[in-house]
Amino acid sequence: MKLAILSESPADEAALQVLVGYVLGRPFTTVQASLRARGWPSVEQVLPPIVRHLHFNTDADGLVVVVDSDDSVVHTSEHEAPGYHHALCRICRLRSVFRRATKNLPPARGRERVLRAVGLCVPAIEAWLLCGHDTSVTEQAWLDGQISGRQPYTRRELKWRVYGTERPSLQHETQRALQEVSRHHGDVRRLENDFPNGFGALARDLRAWQLPGRAG
Amino acid sequence: MIAAVQFRNFKALRSTGVKLAPFNLVLGPNGSGKTSLIQALLRLRALAGLAPANEPPATDGGPRIDFAFTAPYQDIGVSLGCHADELVCNVLSVSRPPGPEGEALWEKLRAKLRTIRAYLFDHYAMAVPAKPADSAELASNGGNLAAVLAVWREKHPDAYAALQAEFLRLMPEFGALEVRAGAGGTVELGTRLKANGHNFITADSLSQGTLYQIALLVLAFTPAPPAVVCIEEADRGMHPRSLREVRDTLYRLSYPQDLGMQRAPVQVITTTHSPYLLDQFREQPQEVILASKQGQAATFERLSDRTDILELMKEAHLGDLWYSGILGGIPGET
Ligand SMILES: [Zn+2]
Repeated sequence: MKLAILSESPADEAALQVLVGYVLGRPFTTVQASLRARGWPSVEQVLPPIVRHLHFNTDADGLVVVVDSDDSVVHTSEHEAPGYHHALCRICRLRSVFRRATKNLPPARGRERVLRAVGLCVPAIEAWLLCGHDTSVTEQAWLDGQISGRQPYTRRELKWRVYGTERPSLQHETQRALQEVSRHHGDVRRLENDFPNGFGALARDLRAWQLPGRAG
Repeated sequence: MIAAVQFRNFKALRSTGVKLAPFNLVLGPNGSGKTSLIQALLRLRALAGLAPANEPPATDGGPRIDFAFTAPYQDIGVSLGCHADELVCNVLSVSRPPGPEGEALWEKLRAKLRTIRAYLFDHYAMAVPAKPADSAELASNGGNLAAVLAVWREKHPDAYAALQAEFLRLMPEFGALEVRAGAGGTVELGTRLKANGHNFITADSLSQGTLYQIALLVLAFTPAPPAVVCIEEADRGMHPRSLREVRDTLYRLSYPQDLGMQRAPVQVITTTHSPYLLDQFREQPQEVILASKQGQAATFERLSDRTDILELMKEAHLGDLWYSGILGGIPGET
């Protein structure tokens, strides 16, 4: 399987490479080194040209996109209802950008379209990195905080917990990210349990790539 | 080190003040006071080398700059002023706690103020072979880069090795960073590519960004760092994607303990015109200073004091907000 990863930093990309491998359960190659977005809302703007580029100029089977939720609406199971679209949910928005970007493309390089896998780190990738270490950090805790108006932690606090500083160097950030994701040893059940919508959506997308009749 | 600077009638800085953090990124159009802030610090350095005036600073409306400091110097105040018939600040007055303890504290602060340094790198000067020197300190345009590294190699091998290692990590296409004897008794700087037979590439064939990166590393790894470093346009010549590493290099000065380095922090004041560098500070708005000019008067403002902008940053890039004009800190258009 050949895929591309669009992320916000080399540290995020390194962690995603590992996690995507765990979900797929088999080796994959990346066709396009280091696709980078400047973060939200740039991702939405660069996604259509990237999809188009991958479709025509590479033999990528799929594109993985993961963004931070920050303070935006968290994707939930209600959003999965057919035809539903939440205008303030970043997963819903990226899926819709994907749909529009692939809709009228003619088949190329022996495939109909580039598949998509969209994930949402709630509220930031550091939450995923703490999974299994810090049981207070979950999607539900963040959702509860949004309802009550008292968030259980801030992005800064999550950085402290993972890196021991608010200002990690890129090198340190990458090392810590790799250490933490490697703890899962190929088993992402805990991540899917604690982050059922943001990580779960990514995992379900990736698994759908391997259904009969899809690329694989 | 320096907690705050208050200006009155100093060039375009008619009446404004700025609180300084351990790290400060200053944004603004030309003529908005970015360089004046750095000039004020250099004036402070120069006048700290002379005996302070006996009388308090004049209150006749002439240029005046007041400095406040962080602990343990929080009880010392320093003012730069000038006589009524002068235009340049040339008098330094000190208010300090009385007695020998106050005197000793001021002497300690004064020694630190003497180490303030400002840099505006010039890659042409950096690329020329340098005369060997005893000084391990980088010149303000970086022109003695090769000579500094030659001194480090002899006298500070640990710093030299750390700098080389970091350079090779940042620029993996290179296999070595070296200084060697050049023509006419000079020393010259060069690198070796991993590819291309490891031939020596002289500094004049290196890109502007590569030379600036080496100069920043010299500041970050210097064995005897100054108390305050001002760097104009720290992003010049750098690829937008490498600006995170530029930020990390600068943070190495301000927050050495975060990187496991055992040395005193260096206060950093750097200027930029790059929205991409600005983006790197979205999580630290207290480190961003907006310099603006209205008519003939320039003012400073901290991004963290702009709660309206912090709200907007949730759905827009900091760099884009700056470019759009709503942050201020942009040139006037005619
Ligand atoms: Zn949604």
